[in-house]
Amino acid sequence: MRILSWAYLLALFAFILLPVVTLVIFSFQDGRLPVPPFKGATLDWYREILTDRALMEALGNSLIVALLSSLVALVLGFLAASGLARVLLPGTVVMRGLLIAPMTVSYLIIALGLLQMFNKVGIRPSLLATGIGHVVINLPLCFAILYAAIGEHQKSALKAARDLGAKEWQVLWFVAAPMLTPGLAAAFFLAFTFSWDEFIIAFLLTRFDVTLPVEIWSMLRSGLSPATNAVGSLVFLVSVIVVVALELTLFRKGSK
Amino acid sequence: MTADVHIKAVEHRFNSFTALHRVDLQIAAGEFIVLLGPSGCGKTTLLSIIGGFLTPSEGQVLIGGRDMTHVAPKDRPTTTMFQDYALFPHMSLRDNVGFGLRMRGVGRAARNAKALEMLEMVGLADKAARRPHELSGGQRQRVALARALAVEPDVLLLDEPLGALDLKLRRQMQEELKAIQRRVGTTFVHVTHDQEEAMAIADRIVVMNHGKVEHCGTPEEVYLRPRTMFSADFMGETNRVPVTPSGSGVNSPLGPLAIAPAKGMLCLRPESLGLAEGFSLGRATLVEAAFYGSYHRCHFRPLAAPDMLLTAHLPQGAHPGFGEEVELFGRNPVVLAPEAA
Repeated sequence: MRILSWAYLLALFAFILLPVVTLVIFSFQDGRLPVPPFKGATLDWYREILTDRALMEALGNSLIVALLSSLVALVLGFLAASGLARVLLPGTVVMRGLLIAPMTVSYLIIALGLLQMFNKVGIRPSLLATGIGHVVINLPLCFAILYAAIGEHQKSALKAARDLGAKEWQVLWFVAAPMLTPGLAAAFFLAFTFSWDEFIIAFLLTRFDVTLPVEIWSMLRSGLSPATNAVGSLVFLVSVIVVVALELTLFRKGSK
Repeated sequence: MTADVHIKAVEHRFNSFTALHRVDLQIAAGEFIVLLGPSGCGKTTLLSIIGGFLTPSEGQVLIGGRDMTHVAPKDRPTTTMFQDYALFPHMSLRDNVGFGLRMRGVGRAARNAKALEMLEMVGLADKAARRPHELSGGQRQRVALARALAVEPDVLLLDEPLGALDLKLRRQMQEELKAIQRRVGTTFVHVTHDQEEAMAIADRIVVMNHGKVEHCGTPEEVYLRPRTMFSADFMGETNRVPVTPSGSGVNSPLGPLAIAPAKGMLCLRPESLGLAEGFSLGRATLVEAAFYGSYHRCHFRPLAAPDMLLTAHLPQGAHPGFGEEVELFGRNPVVLAPEAA
């Protein structure tokens, strides 16, 4: 029985991680094609992509878009959540629904809508447009996480802060934000990874400056190469770093 | 550091439910007032209105003579000690207590000094650098008190602050609250549903029920001379005997009683019943008795009204044998008019 459970665990991990492991292994392939057999290890492909100006620019763009869009989504989500948690208005339920609604719409539809609207108001497809798109998809996420994180305990502490003479911004800055740190970190890192990996919106809303997923897609059009594996490995590495950061900030606090 | 509170014809409605019906209340500066009543009687609503967390549907709240009806909590000379303490978990006790002063722009050195002084007052000065989660419930309670008093409010509002503490700790905190209130001289408005707590700490008790003030007076007045059936019952157990005037006394199912003529319900506390002293209640037999430590709780069946049961608290070792027939006496009679019921 014990052996069986271990076997099951191993099979599970193999199933989840095998594609990624294969990707990483063949990014070191000493040959033209990232397929078996493995012909020996080389760092040539990493050298190639790291000296590829377009690719590195796309990576930089992706980082900037992910960082800024998730910060904006976080701030807006935080304000919305603390506002709606504070007062009970007749339309609270409707407002909450409206804020979360974009989560149920496919990215393609959101991208199409944004594309048409940006056309109307004269915003060109660009990193800014993509960033706005990512705020649209991540705001509901940030809002939902933070709204759920505000419990009775938080609410009464906020009430106490107001009672002790804190202005609204002081309540948010000195009490609400520090008390919600785990939620804020979770929302930020999730938003960051979603923006970092996002393709459809970035594809439709960028033109000359593109984000990394879009650049990888155009690389793939010219066929498989260990270079794409190397890029994939780098993207994976960044995601791993984010997840580890999340573990360290969020779950270590939670276990205390 | 202290102010009077004047509540003028305050009415509050939640949708269709009226939580307060035109409540009028004068609280003197430096007074320890307890709002007492069962849950849903409007006491917490009234406290929230004084603190500014609710704006009354009608009426006015004056604190220190100034109209505060529409002033936000942060601009009122009131602070609140919340039921769940509501301490800031990410701050040390020193920062918790100094928070109000920080919001008022007091410099770090000055507010730390004041915070330490307040923590000293509640006996927690040695834990100034600790966080709230390292403290026991009673200690958190003290921090909440120190934090609320650090800004030197005119009026301190206490929202069932002792509800979560065990009996022994509650008694101790009651005494401390009273001592601290005497020392700082701030007006305290304290909400509770525990009538013993109310009597132990209040200068005046405001008994509330269904959004109205039933009785407002000193603990002695409220307990010994209740004005309504509700406050008589809420403040403690009573024996009720219906009476009608007859000559210079009253008539009752127990027979004629030698008290001032009145029509209504005669209310007698169990400890006002005895085997001597006062006016006679006629003869009765003991049907049940239990020892409660400081007294015997005895049930008597009056001979004149065998379907009635009178409860008496008799001194230790003083109760008759079961089935024994004795003459009962009453003291401190209160007759409440029928319409007061």
